[in-house]
Amino acid sequence: MTMNFKDSMIPTIARKEFLHIIHDPRTLMILFLMPVLQLIMFGYALRLEIQNVHIAVIDYSKSKDSRELIDQFKGSAFFHPFFFDGPVDKINDLFKARKARVALIIPQDFDKQLLRDTAVPLQFIIDASDANAATAIRNYCSRVVNDFNVSYNRKIPLPFDIRSSVLFNPDTKSTYFFVPGLVALLLIMISALLTSITITREKETGTMEQILVSPVRPFQIILGKVLPYIFLAFIIGIIILLIGIFLFSVPFEGSVWLLMLLSTLYIITALSLGLMISTIAKTQQIAMMIALITTLLPTIMLSGFIFPIASMPKVLQYISYIIPARFYLLIVRGIILKGSTFMELLQPTLFLAGMSFILLNVAVRKFSTNLEK
Amino acid sequence: MSLEIAVRTENLTRRFGDFTAVDRVSIEVQKGEIFGFLGANGAGKTTMIRMLCGLLTPSEGEGSVAGYDVYRETEKIKQNIGYMSQKFSLYEDLTIGENIEFYGGIYGLNPKEIRQKKQEIFEDLKLEPWAGSLTRDLPLGFKQRLALGSAMLHNPPILFLDEPTSGVDPAARRAFWDLIYQTAAHGTTIFVTTHFMDEAEYCNRISIMSMGRVIALDSPHNLKQRYNQPTIQKVFIDILKREEEKQQGSDAADQIN
Amino acid sequence: MQRIIHMIRKEFRQIFRDKPMVVIIFIAPLIQLFVLSYAITTNVTHIKLTIADFDRSAVSRSIIRDFSHTERFDLIGYTSDIRQIGQEMRAWKTQFALVIPENFSKNLKRKLEPQIQAVVDGVDGNTAGVALGYAQEILSRYGASVMTNPGNSSRNSKRMHLVTMLDRMWYNLNLDSKEYMVPGIVVILLTIIPMMLSAMSLVKEKEIGTLEQLMVTPLRKHQLLIGKIIPFLILSYVEMAVVMNVAILFFHITMNGSFILLAFLSFLYLLTTIGLGIFISTFTNTQQQAMFVAWFFMVFMILMSGFFIPIDNMPQFLKALTYLNPMRYFMYIIRDIFEKGAGLHYLWKDAVPMTVFGLLIITMGVLKFRKRIG
Repeated sequence: MTMNFKDSMIPTIARKEFLHIIHDPRTLMILFLMPVLQLIMFGYALRLEIQNVHIAVIDYSKSKDSRELIDQFKGSAFFHPFFFDGPVDKINDLFKARKARVALIIPQDFDKQLLRDTAVPLQFIIDASDANAATAIRNYCSRVVNDFNVSYNRKIPLPFDIRSSVLFNPDTKSTYFFVPGLVALLLIMISALLTSITITREKETGTMEQILVSPVRPFQIILGKVLPYIFLAFIIGIIILLIGIFLFSVPFEGSVWLLMLLSTLYIITALSLGLMISTIAKTQQIAMMIALITTLLPTIMLSGFIFPIASMPKVLQYISYIIPARFYLLIVRGIILKGSTFMELLQPTLFLAGMSFILLNVAVRKFSTNLEK
Repeated sequence: MSLEIAVRTENLTRRFGDFTAVDRVSIEVQKGEIFGFLGANGAGKTTMIRMLCGLLTPSEGEGSVAGYDVYRETEKIKQNIGYMSQKFSLYEDLTIGENIEFYGGIYGLNPKEIRQKKQEIFEDLKLEPWAGSLTRDLPLGFKQRLALGSAMLHNPPILFLDEPTSGVDPAARRAFWDLIYQTAAHGTTIFVTTHFMDEAEYCNRISIMSMGRVIALDSPHNLKQRYNQPTIQKVFIDILKREEEKQQGSDAADQIN
Repeated sequence: MQRIIHMIRKEFRQIFRDKPMVVIIFIAPLIQLFVLSYAITTNVTHIKLTIADFDRSAVSRSIIRDFSHTERFDLIGYTSDIRQIGQEMRAWKTQFALVIPENFSKNLKRKLEPQIQAVVDGVDGNTAGVALGYAQEILSRYGASVMTNPGNSSRNSKRMHLVTMLDRMWYNLNLDSKEYMVPGIVVILLTIIPMMLSAMSLVKEKEIGTLEQLMVTPLRKHQLLIGKIIPFLILSYVEMAVVMNVAILFFHITMNGSFILLAFLSFLYLLTTIGLGIFISTFTNTQQQAMFVAWFFMVFMILMSGFFIPIDNMPQFLKALTYLNPMRYFMYIIRDIFEKGAGLHYLWKDAVPMTVFGLLIITMGVLKFRKRIG
């Protein structure tokens, strides 16, 4: 057996794997459609900060001051105020019918109190069933109240000027944030989920045995099987980036080559995860479930894809250190949006490299011994 | 009269788009007969069986199984037939006993009957060593006989077997046919498709199919005599050759016209 | 009836024979419960802060103190080079920088309205906006304290009349986001488990050929489907009970509504998800295909349900699309039952469309599911 013969095994397996992919147009379509639709969803729909809050105003005062306060609410982008005549105990009904999320009660002698006292408490009742929204609503209310205070006590402006500048994404567009993030999500989805399912399928249908009796080495099997997926992952990643750049005008600030290089590292990590899952799982169903729990869920929830890691409880922050996407997100967002250089991304790169080295080693070893059984 | 005829079709036809899988087939199968359906892969055997079992609606023609119409009375047909396909149709992740219980229950047997049947099958097929083990761990030959046993739990008067012996070793095939004989001896009509020519010798009558049509139908003995061949294998090859020549002839005629 | 019971028994045997699957079915939701109920917080805290203090005065120190004394900002370091801020942001070392210019305090005293500069990393637009808001709030408060400080300047010691907020949080006094997320997780659960499992189990029978076998038995289509549906209904209810018990006992989630109402409306929702599973099985041929299609449905149902992306914030056309998503209705229903203790009196507006969807989808699935092949 010459070396040449052995090497030709990899393309043979790769071609077979590729045919599998091509011959299942439905799966292929989902693979391409899913990211694009997700991109549009995340690009347009994902506004985590609350907007369009209906506020019920019970105005017992009906004075110039109370009207002014209500006008302040009307003027803000967050609130849609409406008058509510019903008694205070009917607020519960309003909330339950989801007609309002906050109610403001202005007492009868509001204007007189305001003239007389230095501090006039106003009652805000907030539907806190969504705690995050409630916090945001409280903050916005307090901003409006602040504005009212400033305009009421006109004589005291702020003694200094605050100038803010937003770097890298001046209009704070969420597409900028999610296009690179989706690349991270899809790469792991395709790499880990698809490979684990395909390899498990071969085990399930017994075709793996057939490959095994041929003179193919385990690493050739692995390489042959994963190459088409690396290819597919790259293509989909590039499509997303192109859509992001041309449709959503996401800037590309950094080096394409650096991105390619570090993405390969990430893909290797993800594929190793997929391989490991395939050694554990006996059926496709189980492979899918494990892949969902160990890669997809943490990548969406714990990697900083949507929710900032720093705001999570400590335990989850520690867990996030074993999630490859956590580091890759820094890399991909850094290169695309900030033009970060290799040296600036050294820390996440080292983490990712270490992770991929360990995972790949464990996976290949487990996979080989698994085959011999 | 109708009691004596188990299966009857007249010009039964099934098309899939432009392709005619079964083309005007007319047969009559007597009660208690072992009726073989021979043909190469794609000759239309499986389509034929599926129409008779009520799995496929025919495009044209008439047919009845156990006296019930294949268009309107498929559910009644299903109570009177057993069916076994190339795939074994047993649940691999259930034990042997659980498979029997399940199919018994589906066929409407009561618990006592199921228990009896289970015992019978275990004894007849000598399955004791595998009691309690999953069906997937059973050797192929046993799986097949178990599948047959499960298909006949309700003692159906007619049994349809679609290439039941593909992929099994000769000894297991032999054992399987013994089982078929035993069953037929009790008066069950057996309708079997196969592409093993030696198996055709075991049938009372065989029909040879090619390209959706029945091109020969008689007892193996008569067929061998008529075509003056020593085995069914040779008869089959001979008939196909003639058929091909005829086809070419008509093609040539088409071209002349 | 007897046939259905046999079908159900067989189905349960198969489910419980697959031990790893059973473990996953029950463990996965608990992991979700833990991760989702804690991870999803849109409350931004611990923003990494760098300070460039060129003033080095008592004033600047007290501003810095105000910033570092809240959990909203984590002061990670000082710099004396403005260019370094951009570099640190590119390396993700800091997210927010406050630049206090030279002579800030002097100019403040002279009423020259000096500028203070806030630089924020805008990549995560959400966090950036919130961070600027926080900074504004802290600085304004400091500004107000400077103005009202009686020792500061006599001209500004005029009395102020301020409105203060007295907020009362209903249904969730401690503003615990778990109270909101956990019921949502129950919805996710009642979607994934029944939809995936029913689609997969039907397609699996197709793949291995047992479906064909069942088709030639006297087992009727409705018996076959009922035999498939009931085990997944039961399993879903058991799952739901387990997760809700864990949520109530260990996560201290309060359930203010009626369990019976919840169970009843869950049944209506399960019609939808099991119906979808059956529907998916009619146009897929392998388990892998079924998985992908089911998963595809799932992702979009979840995104469009308000589970973590508020529907109110969506653009009009997407908001309109959510009305086609059965999960949307159940998401509202379950959260309102858990937190507000809402009854059918309030929930019928969601329950009716949800039921219509449920019946429609399951009818479609059943009609499309044929006992014949051709």
